[in-house]
Amino acid sequence: MKSAHRRVAVAALAATCVLSGCAKSEEEPATTGAGAAPAASQVVQSAAPGAATCTIDQHGGEKIDLKTAKVGFSQSEKEANPFRIAETQSIKDEAAKLGITQLTTANANSQFNKQISDVEQMIDAGVQLLIIAPLNSDGWDSVFAKASAKKIPIVTIDRKINAAACKDYLTFIGSDFAEQGKRAADEMAKALGNKGEVAILLGAPGNNVTTLRTSGFKDQMAKIAPDIKITFEQTGNFSREEGQKVAEQLLQSKPNINGIYGENDEMALGAVTALKGAGKKPGDVKIVSIDGTKGAVQGIVDGWISAVIESNPRFGPLAFSTAGDFFGGKPVGQDIIIADRSYDESNAKSDLASAY
Amino acid sequence: MTTLTLTTPRRADWLPKYGVYLAIAALIVYNAAFTPYFLTVSNLRIQLIQVAPIIIVALGMALVIGTEGIDLSVGAVMALVAALIPLYLGYGVIAAVIVSLLAGVAVGLINGALVAKVGLQPIVATLALFVGGRGLAVVISDGQLKDIRNADLIYLGSGDLLGIPVLVWTAALAILVVAFTVRRTVFGRRLLAIGGNRPAAELAGLPVQRVLITVYVLCAVLAAIAGLLSVGRIQSSDASSIGLLIELSAITAVVVGGTPLTGGRVRVLGTVAGAVLMQLVIATMIKNNLPPSTTEMVQAAIILVAVYAARERKTR
Amino acid sequence: MTLLEVAGVSKVFPGVRALDDVSFALRPGEVHALVGENGAGKSTLIKVLTGVYRPDAGELRYQGEPVSFATPMDAQRAGISTIYQEVNLIPLMSVAQNLFLGREPRTTLGLVDRARMDREARDILAGYGVTTDVRARLGSLPLGAQQMVALACAVMIDAKVVVMDEPTSSLEPREVETLFGVIQDLHERGIGIIYVSHRMDELYRICDTVTILRDGKLVHTGRLADLERVRLVALMLGREVSDVRREGFTVFSGDHAAADDTPVLRVSGLSSRNRLHDISFGVRPGEVVGLGGLLGAGRSETIKAIAGAYPVDRGEIEVDGAPLRHPTTVKAVAAGIAVQPEDRKAEGIIPGLSIRENIALSILPRMSTFGLVSDAKIDEVVDRFMKRLRIKAAGPHQRVGDLSGGNQQKVLLARLLATGPKVLLLDEPTRGIDVGAKAEVQALIDELAAEGLGVVLVSSDAEELVEGSGRVVVLRDGAVVGVLTGDDVTTESLLATIAEAGA
Repeated sequence: MKSAHRRVAVAALAATCVLSGCAKSEEEPATTGAGAAPAASQVVQSAAPGAATCTIDQHGGEKIDLKTAKVGFSQSEKEANPFRIAETQSIKDEAAKLGITQLTTANANSQFNKQISDVEQMIDAGVQLLIIAPLNSDGWDSVFAKASAKKIPIVTIDRKINAAACKDYLTFIGSDFAEQGKRAADEMAKALGNKGEVAILLGAPGNNVTTLRTSGFKDQMAKIAPDIKITFEQTGNFSREEGQKVAEQLLQSKPNINGIYGENDEMALGAVTALKGAGKKPGDVKIVSIDGTKGAVQGIVDGWISAVIESNPRFGPLAFSTAGDFFGGKPVGQDIIIADRSYDESNAKSDLASAY
Repeated sequence: MTTLTLTTPRRADWLPKYGVYLAIAALIVYNAAFTPYFLTVSNLRIQLIQVAPIIIVALGMALVIGTEGIDLSVGAVMALVAALIPLYLGYGVIAAVIVSLLAGVAVGLINGALVAKVGLQPIVATLALFVGGRGLAVVISDGQLKDIRNADLIYLGSGDLLGIPVLVWTAALAILVVAFTVRRTVFGRRLLAIGGNRPAAELAGLPVQRVLITVYVLCAVLAAIAGLLSVGRIQSSDASSIGLLIELSAITAVVVGGTPLTGGRVRVLGTVAGAVLMQLVIATMIKNNLPPSTTEMVQAAIILVAVYAARERKTR
Repeated sequence: MTLLEVAGVSKVFPGVRALDDVSFALRPGEVHALVGENGAGKSTLIKVLTGVYRPDAGELRYQGEPVSFATPMDAQRAGISTIYQEVNLIPLMSVAQNLFLGREPRTTLGLVDRARMDREARDILAGYGVTTDVRARLGSLPLGAQQMVALACAVMIDAKVVVMDEPTSSLEPREVETLFGVIQDLHERGIGIIYVSHRMDELYRICDTVTILRDGKLVHTGRLADLERVRLVALMLGREVSDVRREGFTVFSGDHAAADDTPVLRVSGLSSRNRLHDISFGVRPGEVVGLGGLLGAGRSETIKAIAGAYPVDRGEIEVDGAPLRHPTTVKAVAAGIAVQPEDRKAEGIIPGLSIRENIALSILPRMSTFGLVSDAKIDEVVDRFMKRLRIKAAGPHQRVGDLSGGNQQKVLLARLLATGPKVLLLDEPTRGIDVGAKAEVQALIDELAAEGLGVVLVSSDAEELVEGSGRVVVLRDGAVVGVLTGDDVTTESLLATIAEAGA
């Protein structure tokens, strides 16, 4: 077993190397159109008149100063994709900006049980405001019971919970996924000149984001450009690798495809790699996707992607200003839908720095 | 003396041996008839590129299964490799390759030691790194997807050598090496003996621990190679998603290829065919735009048939 | 009236005619011996009788009616029970659970009545001379006791026919007596017994009738008392009576008093946990030393400890003058120790591999250059040993699992011999193999000793132990309690020493 020991030693050396930081990564290329442009924070879509609002009297609880409040933030998924990273960072940054010192954060790593217990622990620890990015839309009853007993307002972000606003939770702040799909259809129709064959790279099956981004896209496409045929729909599970694999198969068996709609940027970037591998040139196949990550916006700059609809993850400012209004006694909307921006070749270069 | 005309043919013995090739042939015939552009070089190329990493991982898995073991940590190895590569790519592609292989060796040594020396059941021993390995990878990579721009690494994953993708060359080489190892080397024969009857192999004076550790190291190194090439192919490193569930694809390929989970036998070509079959199923479904649930049901049916066939052989 | 009978039954496997027009009849209360060399068709006939195989031709009648059992379960439900050579119970379940498997006593709530099950199991097993904690895992019991549990299981389900395949092969003398008592009891209750054994003494003691098979054909059936022993053996082997007379029943030459050499194996003060205490003995080149004692006396543990497969706390082992420190199986084989374990299937052969791979297993490094195996070298060795040990098989590539017990044992011995050992440790080398192979193995042991190997022989067959060994070391409870030498090596003095020691 001597040789085995030696091998262990070598491996240990390598490990030390990682820890001691003798690592050396690739040098970052100069970003095109750089400049420290401020990250774009969210803007509320103009609320429809008469939309339901909520006040502290309706919800219950005491007026407090947000600065000194204990705040808990529960993230649903591992911070492994740009959206989640930006989302968590935005909450932390905004809290720091406002001078909130008592912010606790937890990550459920995609385990719903863990998210429930994360939140319950925060309640037990005496938080006065909860911001939750829910993993699931159902199964929150026990949390609501605990929170309403202590009159703790809950702001849910990016995904909605199936429950009563202003009662079980205070408000929902998020994007309209179906609207994102519609706008993607508009961009696609524009890029193709209202005719051609389009393929959809679907998100994870059974996810409401997938469902809404699909229905929004299809409905709008049928309405505005009936000559565009959607001839292919396969899941890429929101992952770059699977997006690439599916796109490779697609390009091989349907060489006449004109457009690819990626339900997130990762799959669209996978499709770009597939297009490169198939010997296509930028613009041969039009790509439209949703999210607005740096990689995808760079893809527009490079000519591979026609347009990207943003799904803004920077919930921090809006979440805290909503909570501030609420604690200050002002009415807040029960459904705050944010206005997502979009990128195309006209603004990609200049706005690249504000992509996440 | 009475003359007998009755015989009992060996039922279903052909199924685990040749079933997988038959299924491949059937799928090719179906696609040739119904799928446009199927019998083209470009299609062959894409299927080979997509299946190559699975084949590389499945070969290592087949060796482990040959010892009556299982390795759940192959996906985690790929993740670790994906996390480490961007850290060292600054030194060039050689450094990335070396670091990847070292990571494979390290994981293999841990798995092997847990199985051979501590005596844990393989499924439990490798579960540790299945869970922990990817977690560590996500920590190392800071949870972030990193784009790869190193031309040499991209060449390994996406480039051609003599008109054939490097990825496919690598898989072919791995097939040859593993087949040769199983058939011709002392190590290969010992591996099969240990899988066939470990107590007997021990009493026969075989270095059982050393062989087992080597098997797990080989498996992890093959997974590391698959991880390295995948990073080059996807042209980005994402520790949280690379190689996700590949252990299941690999085990499926091995089982469908006719290697029994009870050890003592390794079908190298069968394993390759198993991986190719599953790839063809996926390709057929995607190309004909069938819903993913159909793909999963067809895959499940194939696995059931394979397991059933293996059972037939055992009871004979 | 016959209880169970077949007429003109045939069964063909690819390449083998396992049964060829065989007829067999069992009457109630009869103890019917079924004998023949391995491969004669005994197992196939039993499997036809118990519903495992369907005959290709011929008829099966049970209690006068033509029947066809679809599965062994059907046969069992009809009252035909089988105790196989290898105990087929569930080692991880308790003794009581095994005994009541599938027919557990229930409480009024429909739950298993554990207390009652344990109580009844204790009572039933006491009738078989087994006093043990019935809540213990079956696997923790000695093989002999497991066999008794299997027998109790078989008899419990209202059997009318009980098939016993080598039931005494793993029993010690006292247990054999208990078994014979049980058989006598079954006989009186009118239950028919088919008794398969290679031990002549047993057959003549308890069987009424005998059926002899050879090469799948019926060669004789009739009252056993009317058949002379030599005649029986001659019929089985297909040889002339005069040959058998000349060769005798066991083929040991009996003379293993070795030259006064330094021992090739020296064991001193060997101790292990609570199982082995201060065991010392030596084996000189050309000597066969027997290890005697009852089951559980520590014979197998001693052998395994020497082979590096059982932990050693204290003591020294020397092979040819060189000490073997902290023995491992790898070191032991390298030092020239070759061990044939008691349980051939579990620890000996590798059933899924070919004869060739099994024989070459321990010598692969010698058969290779730079880790690459040379098939030519292996073929040469395999060919030599297959010839020398007269291994009967379709060829060197046949799976060992498909061979008869005797040939499996020969393959295993070939593996040991291929290593060119100095010391052979043999644990029950002739268990569960047919008369012909048994004689060959015994002759081989003689021959090897004559060539200068040191042999340690463990056997539960007192006759074999005494005739095969030049010296017998008697163990009890993991300690040496006596050594028989010279004229003292007799069955009587062996049993006396064991009995004395046991007192």
